[in-house]
Parts: sequence; structure tokens; C-alpha cells
Amino acid sequence: MVTPMTSQGTQLTVEQVGYLTAGPGRAAETALARLLDAGLVRVSREGLVSAVHLSNCGAITPLEARTLSRARTGARFDQVVRSTAFSTEMKALHQDLLDRRLLQRPRHRNPAWGFSLTLAIALFLLGFVAAEFFLAVPIALLFALWQRGRRAVTRQGRQALLHVSATDRVHNVAVYGFCGKVNRRPVADEFGLPQSVVKMLPLKKHRKRQSSSDGGGSGCSSCGSGCGTSSCSSGSSCSSGSGCSSGSSCGGGCGGGGGD
Amino acid sequence: MAGITDLGVGIGWRSEIDLTVERLPGVDFVEVVAENLHIGRLPESVTLLLERGVPVLPHAVSLSLGGADEVDLNRVEHLGGIAEAVGAPMVSDHVCFVRAGGLDSGHLMPVPRTKDALDVLVANVELAQRNLPVPLALENVAALLEWPGGELTEGQFLAELVERTDCWLLVDVANLYANARNIGTDPERFLDEIPLERLAYVHVAGGVEHGGVYHDTHAHAVLPEVLGVLDELCSRVKPPGVLLERDDNYPSDTEIATELAAIRAVVDKHRG
Repeated sequence: MVTPMTSQGTQLTVEQVGYLTAGPGRAAETALARLLDAGLVRVSREGLVSAVHLSNCGAITPLEARTLSRARTGARFDQVVRSTAFSTEMKALHQDLLDRRLLQRPRHRNPAWGFSLTLAIALFLLGFVAAEFFLAVPIALLFALWQRGRRAVTRQGRQALLHVSATDRVHNVAVYGFCGKVNRRPVADEFGLPQSVVKMLPLKKHRKRQSSSDGGGSGCSSCGSGCGTSSCSSGSSCSSGSGCSSGSSCGGGCGGGGGD
Repeated sequence: MAGITDLGVGIGWRSEIDLTVERLPGVDFVEVVAENLHIGRLPESVTLLLERGVPVLPHAVSLSLGGADEVDLNRVEHLGGIAEAVGAPMVSDHVCFVRAGGLDSGHLMPVPRTKDALDVLVANVELAQRNLPVPLALENVAALLEWPGGELTEGQFLAELVERTDCWLLVDVANLYANARNIGTDPERFLDEIPLERLAYVHVAGGVEHGGVYHDTHAHAVLPEVLGVLDELCSRVKPPGVLLERDDNYPSDTEIATELAAIRAVVDKHRG
């Protein structure tokens, strides 16, 4: 992407910000937003995305080229985002984030992790009765921690996002998504997009807590409305595991969970 | 024809550019392809334009009024229904045929300019007029060939059509330019021969030369030469409206706005 975003020494492109904030779906939205911002594609009221002129000129990043290519034949808003989110170009972006240790392979939370934790506590208490139980406590604790899973975005990735601020409408999409709001104003309005269009993006269903990367089942939409709160952009709530910035999982609605 | 004396400058509404059309400054009226709309289920964008008071004119492409086949009254009824739905003061189609022997050409085919063909056209136009709630305007088409045995020039053919049916004329200056390039017709003579007082409005469109033939693609920029034909027309009559047609390879909003501004400049030049 054009504008590198600096945060404590880590340079992030706006697409990377989108990916780290809410997964491949958000990164795909960001690529589409940049094309809209540059006047390279247009969207109709019915959500048809079409290329302005039929050339592939103007795309800067591989994700943009992919998106523009899809738009050349005309496709629905959600299909364009989905197509880019599932693309090989997105896998390359994901790999780059992995290589930079901003992302990691997430591990799904095992629903039984609480049981393991309870067992560890029980073993600890039993240790006062019979000391040999203490020996089993670290094993149970480790097992509980393993089952607890881990988020896709690393601590380094979350740190990098901490100082990201949305400086224009493309960044707004990266951070909040097309379905998000900035100062109570829908991001879609900044692009003149009707809500009926951006709501084509699939909403992630409320899910039970499954893993740390899934967070707390906050019902985050793939297009970011759930993530589009300032708390997410600040990273604080997301890093607690209850938000949506865990990357792959939150992007799953659009992008199928690129963290995997 | 009351209500369309001053349409201004407009653009063909297409669903792909609906938001663009809504936002463009200086769009005084729009034209919709009647076959693409459903009566009772108008696109939100068209409804919005109507609410803003922008005139919406239905334009048909499938009546095949120049054909020997019987006019399909269902198509006429649909066109009339769309006209009523959008409150249009008039509708239009082309002086052409698009089907014969049960086959659709997928193209606006020129009519042989013979007395016999004119009789067929007149009969079809009169039948359509009887079944339409508003006046009908007919447009000259771009042709890549001329049928042999023509007895009238295109201007004479249209003039006689107007005289016998009292229809209105929709003059496409891009088609005039295309015909001048491809089959050597003279736009000025055409304008001399048609009854300009029956001019409903004007179409302007872009095209491109390919293989030595000029194609009226509606997918390329409007050539200065086409604006030159518009200029020639405007020097003779003040057109009630001029409309830009773009059907594919849509350019940026800025480019569309620039083309509309160029059209308006030509029109305004003669308003003195």
C-alpha cells in the first residue's frame, strides 16, 4: 500500500493494518477502499463493483491488482472482498506477517481448558494433603495453557497496532471496516456507499468462546463493525482477548481465517 | 409537446453508474433503457432522481418498428407502462429492425430506404402510437451498410416518416458522424432535410475506429468531430435536450462530467 504507517519502529502498510486488525477480509476491504479512493473502481447502488475503464492500471499492491481484476468483469461488493480475501495474494500478505512475527499460527481454544485449570487447582489443594500431588500441578497447568490456545496476532503485532491511527478514509476502512463508524459516522458514508451495499459483507455469527483467537464471542462482523470501536484500534480491548483484533479469526467471515 | 421544451443536458442512466449519475453536477434529465426496467419495481436510484424532479425518459431498443414482422404489442405496452411509472412526457425507439424470421439480430439494423419499407415502418409506428400513452420519438441509427435500391436519403426518409405519423425525432449526432465516416452520408444534408421543429432531443456518444470502420461503441470518449456535428445542429435549432450515452467501459466521474460540460458548452454557445 502507498502509505507506510509507522508505529514504534514497525512499518505497516494499510493493508497490513487491516489484516492485523480484523483478518484477511478486512485487508481485502482495505484494498477495495484504496481503489475506490483512487477512482479506479466504482460501486453501484445494487452493490456491483466495476472497474473504471477496463485496464488494470493504477493498482499498486498485489491485493489491489487482484481486486481490480475481479472488478473488471463486474462483481458484487461482497464477492469482490471474498475473492481477494481468499486469494494467493492474501496468502502472501499473511506469510509476510508471519515472517515478521506480527502474526503466528493461532491455536484454537479447547473447550476443556477450564477443566484442566480446575484440575490444576484441585491438584494444588490436594498437595497439602499429599505432597506428591504438587508434582502433577505444573503438568496440569501447562496442559491448561496449551488448551487455552493463542491468538493469531502476536504481542509484537498488537504493539504495532497500538499507535496506528486512521488518518484518511482508507485507513478508516483498515481500522474500522466499511461497516464501522468513526465518530458515530459510518465509514461507508465517506465513500458515498449506501448501507445496503456494505451490509452485503457477511456478519460473523455470535459464537461461543472457542479459543483465545476467537476472543469472547463478541459477534464481530467480518467487515468490521464489531471491531470498529476505538477500543479496538487502541488495542487494549483486543489484546485482552475479548475483542476482534486477533486477525485470522475475526477475518474469517470474509476471508476464511487467514491466520490458519 | 408540452413539458420537454427545455430538458437541458442529460445522461443515460445505467445501473452500473447509478451513484455517479446521482452525484454528477449538471444532470438535467436522464434516459433509461425501458427493457431493463420492471414496471412497479423501479430501481431505487431512478426513484430518487424522480423525487428530485429529474425527468426520466424511457428509451426502447426492441420494438423493431422497421421490421416486417408484426409489432409485439407486449413490448409497446411495457414501454408505455414504464413511461407512466416515471411520468415521462415521451418515449423513444429507433428507425430500425432488430428481428426477422424469429431471429433477433442483437443489433439495430438499418431499414431499406424504399417507399415500401417506409409504408411498413409507418404502419408499425402508427400501431405503436395508438398503444402508447405518450408521444413517440424515433432515432436515426448508425449503419455499417446501406441496403441496395434506396429511393430516399436518410433525411428524406425521416422527414416523410414524421409527416405521415406525426412522430418526433431523436437525432443521434454520433450516428450521423458514424454514417458519414462509414457510408459517406452528409450530416449537413441530413440536418437540412429533416423537420427540425419536430426535434425531441439529441443523443451524443463516443466511438472508436477499428479496421478502417468507425464503431459507435458508446464505450469510448466522445470525439471532437461528434461535438462538431452537434455544433452544426445547434447552429440551426435549439435542441430541447442533449443526452450523453455511455453503455460500457465507464470512465471516471470526472471524465463523464467533463464530457457533459463539453456538450453543454456547445449547446450554450448557440444560446447567446
